[in-house]
Amino acid sequence: MPIIEVEHLMKDFMIAKRETGFLGAVKSLVKREHIKKEAVKDISFSIGEGEMVGYIGPNGAGKSTTIKMLTGILVPSSGSVTVNGIIPYENRQENAKNIGVVFGQRTQLWWDLHTIESFELLKEIYQVSGKRYKENMDTFTEILGLDEFLNTPVRQLSLGQRMRADIAASLLHDPPILFLDEPTIGLDVIAKEKMRTFIKGINNERKITVILTTHDMEDIEKLCERMILIDHGQKVYDGEIAVVKERFGKTRTLIVDLEESSHSLQLKGGEVFKEEASRFWIRFNRDEVSASELISQITETHNIKDLTVEEPAIESIISRIYQEGYQELTETVKI
Amino acid sequence: MFRFRLYWTFTKKAFLRSAVYRFDVWSRLGSNLIFLLMWGSIWTALFAGREEAGGVSFESMLTYIVVSQFLSGVNGAGTPLWEIQEKVRTGDISLKLMRPFDVPLRYLFADFGSVAFYILTALLPLYTVMFIFMDLTLPSSWETWALFIVSAFTGFLIRYCIEMSFGLLSFFLVETGGIVDVFYFAMSLLSGSVIPLWFFPGWLERMALYLPFQGIYYIPNAVFIGRISGIEILLSLSVQLFWAAASYLLLRFVWKCASQKVVVQGG
Repeated sequence: MPIIEVEHLMKDFMIAKRETGFLGAVKSLVKREHIKKEAVKDISFSIGEGEMVGYIGPNGAGKSTTIKMLTGILVPSSGSVTVNGIIPYENRQENAKNIGVVFGQRTQLWWDLHTIESFELLKEIYQVSGKRYKENMDTFTEILGLDEFLNTPVRQLSLGQRMRADIAASLLHDPPILFLDEPTIGLDVIAKEKMRTFIKGINNERKITVILTTHDMEDIEKLCERMILIDHGQKVYDGEIAVVKERFGKTRTLIVDLEESSHSLQLKGGEVFKEEASRFWIRFNRDEVSASELISQITETHNIKDLTVEEPAIESIISRIYQEGYQELTETVKI
Repeated sequence: MFRFRLYWTFTKKAFLRSAVYRFDVWSRLGSNLIFLLMWGSIWTALFAGREEAGGVSFESMLTYIVVSQFLSGVNGAGTPLWEIQEKVRTGDISLKLMRPFDVPLRYLFADFGSVAFYILTALLPLYTVMFIFMDLTLPSSWETWALFIVSAFTGFLIRYCIEMSFGLLSFFLVETGGIVDVFYFAMSLLSGSVIPLWFFPGWLERMALYLPFQGIYYIPNAVFIGRISGIEILLSLSVQLFWAAASYLLLRFVWKCASQKVVVQGG
């Protein structure tokens, strides 16, 4: 049974048109014209309980607008949203109890107070029982190491600590759904990894449904099985990440270091697209030719010192989808 | 269902928060004192050795200024207009819509905390000393004291509702300089904070008496120095209560429009 259901969701904004020049400025004093901007146009999806879904799109694609409608702080222009059986914008406060939200870009903790004070405040806001509060705090302290900064004012926390505090804060009231908006932004590699492990853990153990917005494709790759890709307010792709990789990730790059420099490297099924001294970058399609075939072709005439095979990162696949569109890309790949 | 415990928690946390800004307390106290000295000297000069003016003794006039500065300290310790505007601009207030509490009440109760801290640590000690060492008029009965406290508190509520409403207008305006000017003009002149209303020209006094601002400074002060008494006090308190209710309704209305705008326009 889906816990989040979105059908034909649309959101238009009216934006005041700025007139240029002196006359325009005078005119806009009296009468302002508005242009309609469609931030989200006709998006539908449903998310099952306990799923972890990557909600991805370039800046301005309509990601935050969708998330805001799911949290209830934006009313859709048309279409319907249901979150855990509640229509968020009709019953915002009730909906608030079902969701946890983390914004990587801003903290929701009380800036000037010791971290623990914000937790205590959230306990009152969400009416968490004393027993449950203690259990959760113990768990989060253990996994996230909160104890090292609970008595430090939030403004003095490092970004990594602040993120850990923020995510713990969003989970204090045991929400069945968690919205994460760029939860690893600005973190170093180790802190990112810790954050991912934690998110994976709560999804597994607590069966919390997670919607993750991010620009870091590694987050998506490591955390989600499913992704929803949107662009210009429309859904471009919705499905398993593995499928996209399978479909678009057939191109491989073989990098070889030869013992002697060679001016010509003609290969059947492979295309040299870059060379530098004795190093060659060869692009090939996995379905047409295997790496070992290529390698044996090379060894007939050259000695190989070193080699690597690279598969395309999800990042480059997705940036190609943005640029070329999912449909068109499907066709070109078929050829 | 009013969740007093929750809002009370905001009061407690805001009290703690104020303790973080100790320097802020001292600098505020400093400027409060400077204004007190300034207005004290101005009124001393205006009285020019006379015992009485406008039906009020010099001593009462001086008391009026001292009480007025005290009230200004109390009212100034709440969330100021610019900070509300800042919270609107940065989207802080819009995001609070996601929380299960009422935003205007949340800020009111937080203000109770900050104000309580400032009163206890700075205003009370300073003004107690002032009343001991200066020749000032004190209310003669405990009833007057009680009425003064009720009146000052009601004035605080009126000021909060109006200031918050003005601040929330930032949701609708890009340029808010005009709003700020109107607010501070009304707050300093029409409230009677530095010039008691009885010194106003007739038309201005009538105008001020028809506006809510007098309830913030003038009425509590008039009660304190005994300018009004008996039935007049009750009448003035009713006027204050009326304005407290009216400005609360105004705040609710502005907040409703603002949150409506956020949910439709995205703030």
